[in-house]
Amino acid sequence: MNAFSFIPLLLALVLSPLMLGVINRTKAFFAGRHGQPLLQTYFDLFKLLQKGVIYSRTTTWIFRAGPMIGLAAILTAALLMPLGKCPALLAFPADFLLFAGLLGLMRFFTVVAALDTGSSFEGMGASREVFFSALTEPALFIALATLVRETGRLSLSTMFGQASNAHWLHSGPVLGLVVLALVIVLLAENSRIPVDDPNTHLELTMIHEVMVLDHSGPDFAFILYTSALKLWLLGALALGVALPFSSGNPWLNLAMALGGMFGLAVAIGVIESVMARLRLRVVPQLLIGAGAVATVALILTLK
Amino acid sequence: MMTDLILVLVVLTNLKLLGSSRLGSSIRVVAAQGVMLGLLPILVHVHELSLHFAALAAGTVALKGVVFPWLLFRALREAEVTREVEPYVGYITSILIGLAALATSFWLGGRLPVSTGEPASLLVPSALFSIFVGLFLIVARKRAVNQVLGFLVMENGIYTFGVGVVAELPFLVELGVLLDAFVAVFVMGIAIYHINREFDHIEVNRLDQLKG
Amino acid sequence: MKHEALLWVLVLVPAVTGALSLLLRSARTILGVMCAGVGISLALGWYVAGKVLMSGPVSAGGEWLYLDALSAYNLGVMLLNYGLSSAYASVYFGVELREGRLTLHQARLFAGLWCGAMAAMTLVFISNNLGIMWVGIEATTLLTGFLICVHVTGESLEAMWKYILICSVGVAFAFMGTLLVGASAHGLGLSAPEVLLWTKLQAHAGSLNPICLKAAFIFLLVGYGTKAGLAPMHHWLPDAHSQAPAPVSAIFSGITLNTALYCVMRYVPIVEAGTGNTGWGLRLLTGFGLISILVAAVFVLLQHDLKRLLAYSSVEHIGIIALGVGLGGLGTFAALFHTLNHSLCKTLAFFGAGRLGQIFGTHDMRKLAGAIRVAPVWGMGLFGSLLALIGVAPFAVFMSELQILKAALDGRAILALVLFLFGAGVVFMGILGHAIPLAWGKTTSTVQPARAGILETLLVVVPLMFLLVLGIWMPEPLQTALNAAADVIHHVNPVLAGSSGGVMP
Repeated sequence: MNAFSFIPLLLALVLSPLMLGVINRTKAFFAGRHGQPLLQTYFDLFKLLQKGVIYSRTTTWIFRAGPMIGLAAILTAALLMPLGKCPALLAFPADFLLFAGLLGLMRFFTVVAALDTGSSFEGMGASREVFFSALTEPALFIALATLVRETGRLSLSTMFGQASNAHWLHSGPVLGLVVLALVIVLLAENSRIPVDDPNTHLELTMIHEVMVLDHSGPDFAFILYTSALKLWLLGALALGVALPFSSGNPWLNLAMALGGMFGLAVAIGVIESVMARLRLRVVPQLLIGAGAVATVALILTLK
Repeated sequence: MMTDLILVLVVLTNLKLLGSSRLGSSIRVVAAQGVMLGLLPILVHVHELSLHFAALAAGTVALKGVVFPWLLFRALREAEVTREVEPYVGYITSILIGLAALATSFWLGGRLPVSTGEPASLLVPSALFSIFVGLFLIVARKRAVNQVLGFLVMENGIYTFGVGVVAELPFLVELGVLLDAFVAVFVMGIAIYHINREFDHIEVNRLDQLKG
Repeated sequence: MKHEALLWVLVLVPAVTGALSLLLRSARTILGVMCAGVGISLALGWYVAGKVLMSGPVSAGGEWLYLDALSAYNLGVMLLNYGLSSAYASVYFGVELREGRLTLHQARLFAGLWCGAMAAMTLVFISNNLGIMWVGIEATTLLTGFLICVHVTGESLEAMWKYILICSVGVAFAFMGTLLVGASAHGLGLSAPEVLLWTKLQAHAGSLNPICLKAAFIFLLVGYGTKAGLAPMHHWLPDAHSQAPAPVSAIFSGITLNTALYCVMRYVPIVEAGTGNTGWGLRLLTGFGLISILVAAVFVLLQHDLKRLLAYSSVEHIGIIALGVGLGGLGTFAALFHTLNHSLCKTLAFFGAGRLGQIFGTHDMRKLAGAIRVAPVWGMGLFGSLLALIGVAPFAVFMSELQILKAALDGRAILALVLFLFGAGVVFMGILGHAIPLAWGKTTSTVQPARAGILETLLVVVPLMFLLVLGIWMPEPLQTALNAAADVIHHVNPVLAGSSGGVMP
């Protein structure tokens, strides 16, 4: 472990809210608006942390623990995720299982906290969240298994360290399919269009936002920060597969990875601008499709 | 590499067909598949490119990418249907079955000792997969148009196999495939037209007066 | 050699006749020209087949055309049935013309397709190239598809749709099988035009890739089996047979099914030699045969429509032929003999069913009761052919089935023997239960008794006499032909007269 390994973690902690800003600015650009400041998410976080918290009398400790456990889980996950060629702070065989597990833990407590309010709206959001994630998780796992199979490494850091442009030349279709599956997983997990609209105010159609309606103040700041980190980490995962190129110089690699991350943010903004939200009925088909794509990739590596 | 890309795209389009209910988009997907497969003979035999393969490619692209889709869209308009309703097997189940079939195709493709070049090891599995998907669509969908598409996909699978594995077979036989597809769709198109007129419906399921 | 040129002429005659009939302006002339064309083909074909059977195989066109004992025998059977069916078609459609139910357009369509289908089937028998053989089957499928709906009705369109859809899938499978056969010949050093020649493949069968060949045979058996009506791929068959005009049903049952099964028979020696003579392919064939017999036995009991009943009976008989080939030895001989018997018998049955249908206006067997009183000639013909079909003693079908039983005993295939006997027994009772009321039951409808002309009487008497004579005494030339044809499929000791004609109970 060298000092260099702290960099992915630090970047994730510092820059993840900026990614949301970039997405929003891209969407504003497409809509012909000026849009909110790039640093708006930081302002929101700061503002929320200043405020007090209100808890409903019907809630229990679970409601209070939800945001904290979620943040803790995602911070632990951040320890495992490398950024491009730059290895993560922690790397051990099968750490990707822990990564996926931590995401699951975070989701579980968000859902339980939502159910704890006893509100029918939040229950509805929770049920959708669980349904959709039941479909995205197989896709995520199969995509990760394909990467393991393709690179022959069992840890996220070594996996991305091993991956190179030779992989794209040799088995381009496999990597392409994995990236496609991971991007769909990314969009679904972070409640972006075409699965969910983060800006909507119609509770009936929301998934993630509707679960966290009752949280306020620092708790909500935690949730906001958690989802920013989640977007960053899944983005880093997709990026590591999409851009496995190494320039030889670690600083240059890092710059390239950062450029890739914000390029990804712009791409998400573009997707959100040009696509409409899918009807809820059709979403499972998209997610199953992601799983199918990942499975095709896995079968291609198995042959 | 290009061959692999095309074959993977063929596999994906097959999965898309399994999960799609809109007949119009299915026709477009099959057309795209036809165009991609039309390029296949050129790519597979890039070192021994001859006029024969070029002609085959041009014919396939024209037929599968242009003529058939056009005929099918016409049939669709005549029939005034846009989507499959209540298929025998649901879309998500279909995709899952398709994935199982894909795995089986790869397993079988590995066991069939046919000599394909090293760069084209996906040929046999994807050919078998197309054959399976085509057969499945014919069996599991009710709309006549979907069944014709299924036949075309199956045909595409056989074509893939023929181009990749036994390309040295006489010209005549390769033409035979095209003839078969052409005539089959032509005949079926007329049949759809008739059936549509006779029953005001092209749902094959309704054609069940003859039983036992 | 002029025999070689004759092979080309054999395909050309029906093709030209078909084209000619599209130009003629009177429906009667069209039917006449059609019969004449088929008659010429029949004479030529029998002449060539006779030559081949006496003095060995003939080939032409750089070995692409080839006629050996097996194909000559099948060609002869096909031509015989086509001749009978054409004569019958002129009678059948003559009635429709009198009643004004056949337009000139329909007559042209019918004659064109009828002759076209004949040319395609001739091509199947005389081609040495397995790809061209496939083209012949494919063309047959397309041409006969339209024959089903000469009279466009909802039901006939449904039957045509089912027929074309199911058979096109079968034909596609057969093509895949043909490709796999080609793939199995990789590395044999055959030049491109030679790879699919049956004679070449036969000569090199031992060095073909066995796994490819097995995969190929599965595709071929399912593909051509669909066209031949082997269960469980027989679903198109009852509909197509019941909806097509009677002459078309007759060639469906009596000819196209055999033609498709002939294609499978062509591959049997190659597959057997290629897989080390382990009987793998034969066991598959036996299995499909038995399934067909049993499925047909179940469905025969449920039928009320006469033509559907006959269709299921065809499934049974095709199953019996497949079983015979699968058993090998005497079974092959008997299967080929059974091909002839079944074709004659089934065409006659459909002749009867068609004319009775015209007289009564229905094919429902409950309404056809007392057919013999209303139409003595056709009633007797139908009843006689039904008796022959279920294997009643003096008829030839009985003899061939008995030989297949003997082959099963010889081969110690006890399970096959039991299942075959069971299936045949059920069909026997099922059809007899329908046939007796049909012939002598109380007439339910008020239909005027119909008289039959000389041609119609001949059409009934000739096939029945044929079946009766063949059941009692097998002429020397036929036996030689059968032995030579069976020898192409299987190298075995020729069957002696004693074991074929002499086993009278």
